[in-house]
Amino acid sequence: MDAVRIECVTKRFNSVVAVRDLDLCVASGAMFGLLGPNGAGKTTTLRMVMRMLIPDAGRVHIFGNPLDDRAQDLIGYLPEERGLYPKMKVRNVLAFLGALKGLSEAEAGRRALEWLERLELAKWAERRIHDLSKGMQQKVQFIAAVLHRPLLLILDEPFAGLDPLNAALIKDIMLDLRAQGATIILSTHRMEQVEMMCDSICLIHQGRKVLDGDLKVIKQSYGKNTLRIQHAGGNGFLDFPELVERANHHGAMVDLRLRAGADPQQILRAAVERGVSITRFELIEPPLNDIFIEKVSGSDA
Amino acid sequence: MRKIGLVFKREYLARVRTKGFIFSTFVVPLMLVAVIGVTAFVATHQSVRTQQLGIIDGTASLSAAIARGFEPRLRGGQPAYRVARQANAASSGEENRLREEFRAQVIRGELDGFLLIPSGYFSGENSVFYARNTGDVALSTTVRQALNDAGAAYRLKAIGLDYENIRPLLKGVPMTLIKVKAEGEEEERGQTLGLAIVLMTVLYMTIFVYGIATMQSVQEEKNSRVVELLVSSLRPSHLLWGKLMGVGAVGFTQLSVWLATAAAVGIYGRAAAELFWPGNRLPRIELPFLVIFFIVTFFIAGYFLYASLYAAIGAMVSSTEESQQIATPVNLLLGFSPVMMGFILRSPNSPTAVTLSMIPFFSPVHMVLRMALQTPPLWQILLSLAIILLTTSGIIWLSARIYRVGILMYGKRPSLRELARWVRYS
Repeated sequence: MDAVRIECVTKRFNSVVAVRDLDLCVASGAMFGLLGPNGAGKTTTLRMVMRMLIPDAGRVHIFGNPLDDRAQDLIGYLPEERGLYPKMKVRNVLAFLGALKGLSEAEAGRRALEWLERLELAKWAERRIHDLSKGMQQKVQFIAAVLHRPLLLILDEPFAGLDPLNAALIKDIMLDLRAQGATIILSTHRMEQVEMMCDSICLIHQGRKVLDGDLKVIKQSYGKNTLRIQHAGGNGFLDFPELVERANHHGAMVDLRLRAGADPQQILRAAVERGVSITRFELIEPPLNDIFIEKVSGSDA
Repeated sequence: MRKIGLVFKREYLARVRTKGFIFSTFVVPLMLVAVIGVTAFVATHQSVRTQQLGIIDGTASLSAAIARGFEPRLRGGQPAYRVARQANAASSGEENRLREEFRAQVIRGELDGFLLIPSGYFSGENSVFYARNTGDVALSTTVRQALNDAGAAYRLKAIGLDYENIRPLLKGVPMTLIKVKAEGEEEERGQTLGLAIVLMTVLYMTIFVYGIATMQSVQEEKNSRVVELLVSSLRPSHLLWGKLMGVGAVGFTQLSVWLATAAAVGIYGRAAAELFWPGNRLPRIELPFLVIFFIVTFFIAGYFLYASLYAAIGAMVSSTEESQQIATPVNLLLGFSPVMMGFILRSPNSPTAVTLSMIPFFSPVHMVLRMALQTPPLWQILLSLAIILLTTSGIIWLSARIYRVGILMYGKRPSLRELARWVRYS
């Protein structure tokens, strides 16, 4: 069964069509990446999944059922724009938000303490939200999303503003929840995170779906057409317009998208002839980042 | 329903626990009671002494009669006023000299004040009363009355009439004001007017303060972005209802405490007044149960009407300053009610007053005012109630449509045309 099934959904605001005829399925138990440039309609789509917005046309199903009040209790949400009641105590905020998701207030308060413990915030349970640092508030907000053990967890930029230690803590919890059967939708601009964590993705642009499916399958469909080179010295030897479709310089590393039938050995030979010292020379599937840029700038044209 | 209850509870507890609420609900009425009590105590127990007065008489014929005219007595029986010094001024030079002398005595505290009667008094020249404390209204009134009587007596004597015989005939006529009601009669000594004004002020203030509080509450949730999390958990209309009821219940709590205090003062105050002024009974204030029921209903309907408008405004804009700006028309609409108060007080059954009390934006104040003054026909109350209940339902529906879209919108505030679109969104 699909955790989320969106059929032919359209949503307009005034004259702007935010989402147009979108079909989308998220398999139960998936770690799903929802990608797209700013203003592509990601947030509008997620808001329709959570019933915060009602589609103008089309249907949304959650775990096989049409959206209703009970469906909201199955979903946990970490919005991109974080915010909690600044003057309330941490535990009371969590108890209130947990109760809004169907827990009893006592149960929500008890679980809040467990989670605060797990996220190293136990000392702050009785402090007010405005006394907490940004990172701590972020973690409290994450607890609010997972407190009621949602079957579907929607996380919008979950790692933004977290240091690497806390980001790892949150990532481990995400993997843990997924192992327990939760479906996770991750909306982010950080392509390397999507590549590391997600098994399927959907890329939307200007309200339309431009790419979706299993991430491995998508990347395989491109084949190993990208040459990743790490080297010391100038970039002069890389000038092969007849072989290279596009070059993406990262500074210490460069990714070259090869034309169909191009022989990467020619490039290696050129480098050796010029005496460039190569530390890495690898044929890879295109990084998601490149696919993103290609799809988004491609459909603009 | 359960989620509305949760929002209600959070909103109520968060507000009731603030210092501002505790202060305005409990401390302010206690302070008022204390002030009234102290004032009443001082008024009845003020330390009293006979005031020493002077008279400069340019006519050389009035001062003796004036001195006789100082009638009021103190509680101990000694006179309240005494003419300590009097002098006749034969010329304007002497008048000036005497005035300086008397003035010096006032400054030294030997006199509390003195009256200057110019030689041209009978041809219409002004007399002057010089006093250290011109705020003592009882003093200046007594002096004016005594001078008036003395002058009249002198003039009457000049045409051969004896003032002492005529005087009892000129005494003011005592008149008691009785309010006629279906349930019986009641002596009117300002209690009806007082009750009407107090009720209207308290209801108006409560609707205003808690209407604005609703707007601020919406703004807080929108500005802190917590609203996004809330509407992922419950319907925006449920959130709005919980909020309206939660803030309203806070206002109702405050109103109840105030009115209970007022009732207690009414009951115990009368007992206290009898202690201080034996026999001087304060008027009783009575409100029939049905009138109280109607007043409460109008208050609740009025609160929801204005609070939902304020909530919609709070949802429309992205900053507190902006919300205050947009709220101005609603403030004016609400503020129109007390402006028209004087008019309703004078003629509570005039066609204008009846019309005003039918308009839902004014009826919570104006119909209550009319009910406190004299019970309007039942059909008018019921019609007005029906109109405001229908209007309030409509406004809440409209506000909820605007609210659910507005809380997720940031940036430029919507034009009227955009608002109309918001209402139509699916």
